[in-house]
Amino acid sequence: MSLLELDGVHAHYGPSHILRGVSMAIDEGEVVTLLGRNGAGKTTTVRSIAGTEPPEVRSGSVRFDGTDITDWPADDIAMGGIGVVPEGRRLFTELTVEENLELSTITRNWWNTVRRRGLGGGESTMAIDELYDLFPRLEERRAQQAGTLSGGEQQMLSIARTLRLPDLDLLLLDEPTEGLAPQIVTAVGDAIEEIADRGLTVLLIEQNVHEALRIADRGYVLDQGDIVYQGTTEELENEDLDEYLVV
Amino acid sequence: MSTDNAQPDVEDESSLISVDAWDRIKHTERFVFLISVAFVLTFSYLFSRAPVISDVTQGYHGLTVTILIWSIFALGFNLLLGQTGLLSFGHAMFFGTASYATALFSIHVFNEPLTIVIVGMLSAIALGAVAAVILLRLHTVYFAIVALAIGQFLYFLASNPLEGITQGINGLEVDRTPLLGVVDLDHEYGGILGALVVDNLYLFVGVFFVAVVMFITRIRKSPYGLIFKAIRENETRASFVGLDVWRYKFAAFLLSAGIAGIAGALLAVNTQFAGVERLYWSISGDVVVMAVLGGLGTLAGPVIGTFVWFYFKGIVNGFPTLGDYWLLMLAVSFTAVVWAYPEGIWGMITDLTAALREPKTLAAKVKSRVTGGSSTEGSNGGDR
Repeated sequence: MSLLELDGVHAHYGPSHILRGVSMAIDEGEVVTLLGRNGAGKTTTVRSIAGTEPPEVRSGSVRFDGTDITDWPADDIAMGGIGVVPEGRRLFTELTVEENLELSTITRNWWNTVRRRGLGGGESTMAIDELYDLFPRLEERRAQQAGTLSGGEQQMLSIARTLRLPDLDLLLLDEPTEGLAPQIVTAVGDAIEEIADRGLTVLLIEQNVHEALRIADRGYVLDQGDIVYQGTTEELENEDLDEYLVV
Repeated sequence: MSTDNAQPDVEDESSLISVDAWDRIKHTERFVFLISVAFVLTFSYLFSRAPVISDVTQGYHGLTVTILIWSIFALGFNLLLGQTGLLSFGHAMFFGTASYATALFSIHVFNEPLTIVIVGMLSAIALGAVAAVILLRLHTVYFAIVALAIGQFLYFLASNPLEGITQGINGLEVDRTPLLGVVDLDHEYGGILGALVVDNLYLFVGVFFVAVVMFITRIRKSPYGLIFKAIRENETRASFVGLDVWRYKFAAFLLSAGIAGIAGALLAVNTQFAGVERLYWSISGDVVVMAVLGGLGTLAGPVIGTFVWFYFKGIVNGFPTLGDYWLLMLAVSFTAVVWAYPEGIWGMITDLTAALREPKTLAAKVKSRVTGGSSTEGSNGGDR
């Protein structure tokens, strides 16, 4: 059984029919990439998995670890083991680096929340110190407001924040290298590889085919809301997919 | 600098404690407690009876009680708008409903000040739970307008169909009974205590004021403060980090309603009256002005805003000739303050004190503010 399984997912934004029967499966421990050009439906796929509305999933199902999570709200999915690093590094810009990292670990118990002075006491996939080892620049900027970080640092924080969720099994990264300088792209890619080496399953959504294929084991190509090609990294590299991808 | 340094650091000859130490101290809960107690103890005296000062302010004791009560209301309103970014134009519903519940309970069930205030608060929380189910589905202007509509609905409900219960525009009377059956609220003290607080009613309201300030401080310093800030910035992002946004907005809504309810109940005890005008939309508008004028999202802001508002209404109003224009003058001051300082009067004060530490930046800052330099960066881009 696959860790994540999309079966004929049709997703709509109001009257627009965006995903037209997307089916894909990701096994535990894999690094899978989802490629496609602008408007192919990549982010809609992420949002359909993450339980964010819109889009509305009208038919098909999303199964995670055997459980149908199609209708689950976003916060339950996040607490249930799927971490999303959204497109465009969506941080809480007014909060500090450390506060961003602490948010995910807030206990769900009301009374404990009011009583507890400290934060970050809840369980999480990776401790703050481990994340600072992974992204040393975040430690230097721990007390700084997230909005004042550079693009690369914001992306690192966005990934690090997601890794603070408890019992994370699957990491969804929506265009993590978008708009970053080339050497930062490599640094972020290396970090994703290291996260995958720790046993986390990764779904990497990318327009940057080169970087995606460097990291991934295999991949899917999405075009006009449908999977048009799937294969291993080698197959994807050798196949002529220019029709579907902007390189 | 070590945080366990008990000795104040001497920075230069002009300051007793260093700026860093002061910044640390002023954010502790104990400091907030001491300041709010000191404020309650000296406010009435300074405003209405202190030599020289009170000649200038021309205040009177009764007004200080009203200001404390409305400050509680503004603090409750600010908890919702300032912390979670939900702008309610219908907070009079909690204020007025709590007032009625307090009066009705005192008339029909049991009349003891503490009990009826708690009943008033609980009634506001109950109303908040119902209103939240409708309101929290809505965003931005829809939230504000529907809140206003619910408030007006209750106003008309209370003034006409339920006239038999509420006595319509005549209102209900709340008899004054001893607190816990022992303490006479009208008892006036002599000596220093009398000079400071005058009577037990002021103390009764003052204790609630300090309690509400401390409760809000606790909320702001707890993880809730961080969660509310995160939700205010972006709800979608908050759900991605596993936060159940609805649940926390619901919590903030109930807390805000409850605090507004305390204010409404205290006003019923203070004025010995509960009337339909407390449900009216203009009450909701007043509290918005108070909170925004003083400074949203801060503790001192709503209190300062309430003070200024009542100063105009109660004191400037009485000035010969000029007095007739008190509302106009308030409106002009409001516009001027909010134009130059979107963070309100408290933002103006903190800006000035910060600038006094570095006088060079003061001129540049004032200039950029007045000429409309970029102040706050909007970060509410949709996560679509």
